[in-house]
Amino acid sequence: MKLGIGARITAVFGLGALILSILMGGLSYFTVRHFLLAGRESAAQHQTFLNASAVRSSLQSGTTGYVLLLSNIDAGTNAHSVLFHGSKTYISSESVTAAAIPHQLRKAVLDGNAATQTIRTPQGTAEIVVGVPLPSVHADYFDVFDLSDLDHTLRVLGLALIVAGVITTIFGIALGRFASTRSLRPLAVVSRAAGAIAGGELDTRLDAEAADPDLEGFTLSFNAMVDQLQERIEREARFNSDVSHELRSPLTTLAASVEVLEADRDNLPVRSQRALQLLSDDLRRFQRMVADLLEMSRADAGSVDVFLEEVLVAELVRRSVEAGFAHMDGHGNATPPTVQVEPAVEMSHVGVDKRRFERVMVNLLENADRYGGGATTVGVAAAPGASGLVEVTVDDAGPGIAPRERTKVFDRFYRGSESGRRGAGTGTGLGLALVAEHMRVMHGGVRVESSPAGGARIVLTLPALVEDDPDGFEDGGGDGAGGGDLGRER
Amino acid sequence: MSGRILVVEDDERIRSSMRLALEGEGYEVRDAASGEEGLDMFAEAPPDVALIDLMLPGMDGFECCRALRRSSAVPIIIVTARADTHDVVAGLEAGADDYVTKPFVAKELAARIRALLRRARPAEEEPGALTFGDLQLLPEQGVLRRLNGDEVHCTRTEFRLLCELAASPNKVLSREQLLDRVWGYDYFGDGRLVDVHIRRLRTKVEADPAVPQHILTVRGMGYKLVP
Repeated sequence: MKLGIGARITAVFGLGALILSILMGGLSYFTVRHFLLAGRESAAQHQTFLNASAVRSSLQSGTTGYVLLLSNIDAGTNAHSVLFHGSKTYISSESVTAAAIPHQLRKAVLDGNAATQTIRTPQGTAEIVVGVPLPSVHADYFDVFDLSDLDHTLRVLGLALIVAGVITTIFGIALGRFASTRSLRPLAVVSRAAGAIAGGELDTRLDAEAADPDLEGFTLSFNAMVDQLQERIEREARFNSDVSHELRSPLTTLAASVEVLEADRDNLPVRSQRALQLLSDDLRRFQRMVADLLEMSRADAGSVDVFLEEVLVAELVRRSVEAGFAHMDGHGNATPPTVQVEPAVEMSHVGVDKRRFERVMVNLLENADRYGGGATTVGVAAAPGASGLVEVTVDDAGPGIAPRERTKVFDRFYRGSESGRRGAGTGTGLGLALVAEHMRVMHGGVRVESSPAGGARIVLTLPALVEDDPDGFEDGGGDGAGGGDLGRER
Repeated sequence: MSGRILVVEDDERIRSSMRLALEGEGYEVRDAASGEEGLDMFAEAPPDVALIDLMLPGMDGFECCRALRRSSAVPIIIVTARADTHDVVAGLEAGADDYVTKPFVAKELAARIRALLRRARPAEEEPGALTFGDLQLLPEQGVLRRLNGDEVHCTRTEFRLLCELAASPNKVLSREQLLDRVWGYDYFGDGRLVDVHIRRLRTKVEADPAVPQHILTVRGMGYKLVP
């Protein structure tokens, strides 16, 4: 898994703090330990030499009360004495044995040298053992010093250092987090700005005043980039709109003139009549194209005014299908599609721009006619689930649309790979793209499915308006006995 | 049906083709290339309908509408390049009765003109005199006046809209019904026509147009007149 920059900064800070605290802690621990141990060793040696000389004087004076002698020497110290005299071993207390003396040390002392060794007993306690040879009395004297107090001190110190190290590390991680959020904060601002720009708010800019001085260059170039982007988008939209507008004037002239000719059609020779027919058909198509392009460029420029009205969805669909069919003017299928309205939505209201919806229906019917052998059924039903949506479906009699093409058909100028459409190049290629755009501004949606008969099914969705009529609400919840004329029985 | 039409349009070719098409429909057409020229022609010989392009050099279409409205109740149709922008509403608010978008079909334009020239609906639903607030509506005489005798000036379309509402007081009329009866549009007529005309009417009829007492909006349904 790839770590984010924030996580990495945090990790580096944490690791740094950890390494630093291990180094510092280790150094302190070992320095203190060394220092304390050295002190104890020299004290132990000093003590042992004193004791040894006392033992020697006693032995020279011929004493035989070894145990008493050794106990006396031990008293007031934390040491235990071991005396090898002749073949015998004497100890000052039960807590020490001859076995406690390491062989190496014993050997060094036997060789006639005083020696010191720090050991850890099998029980886990630390001890300093100092050995002094007493050749004048043929004895070897050893003192065993218990270091458990020192051990304890060092353990406490070690624990304290570990705790300090952990705290330092946590602090380091916290600092790392803080630093990374701080240093990433400008990026979050940029990200929000970029998101807003991508969402169409082209006026969004970074605040150059408030920005970090280190990031000034970045802020300026970001803003410059958005300026250019905005200018380019606006220029393009203006160009599209200008082109379409400029086309409108000659189109208006053409349309009016052709109508004058058409009114006079019967007086024209047959050849001219045919030419006039071609002229007027293509003129109509040209008008549609310009209207579609203009609609598209307006949508791109974000300058659409939507006039939403509250209407009965069933009536809307019936009227739109009627108008859409009339619009095809006998060019398409002979029979209009049947409109099937689910009783439950017969009285549902939707908020739509009626003229936009009419254009949606015209486009869908034309499209069905062009690619799918004509629309067969138009359905109105509540969307499955309690989504509060109304679905308007338009089924055609064609071969359907392959699943992989079902989103592409909404692209501009996309024409299905499936041929078999009627006539030559009759569409503008913008039909379904505009349908999607119209539905979007009306807070609805559109998708492609396949109809039960195997043809294409275009599904329009619109949010149903919630009725604020309390009586109607009661009807829905009751047993449908009183006033249940709203067709709510599902 | 005949009538005199004034066309104010700066594009000479569009002007000529409109003249040809409208003359073909039986109208008598005069045309002007600018708003100023249009106003002069209007003063010379008032037409039955004025057709005004919104984008004119010099005095623009909105200003031209307002100037005409100051002296006349003549039906005005504005010609706009774009249907779904604020232009339409602004044009209607400047006093226009209806609009067509370029490129328009001459037949459709002729239908719009016919609808505006039509007299208020005859007989059956013709309301008798109706008094509401301090106003008296006399459909027969085409007069709306205050009880003190002052006449309230409104355009032909506003008057017909008021008559339709007055024909069935307290009954809600949907936008579609009003569009059909007053403008001759079908279901897909532009509801903004009704809304803007209702607003205009309220400024003349209501004491406080922001809090209407007589011409009420019924949400999701339409409008009704409460005497």
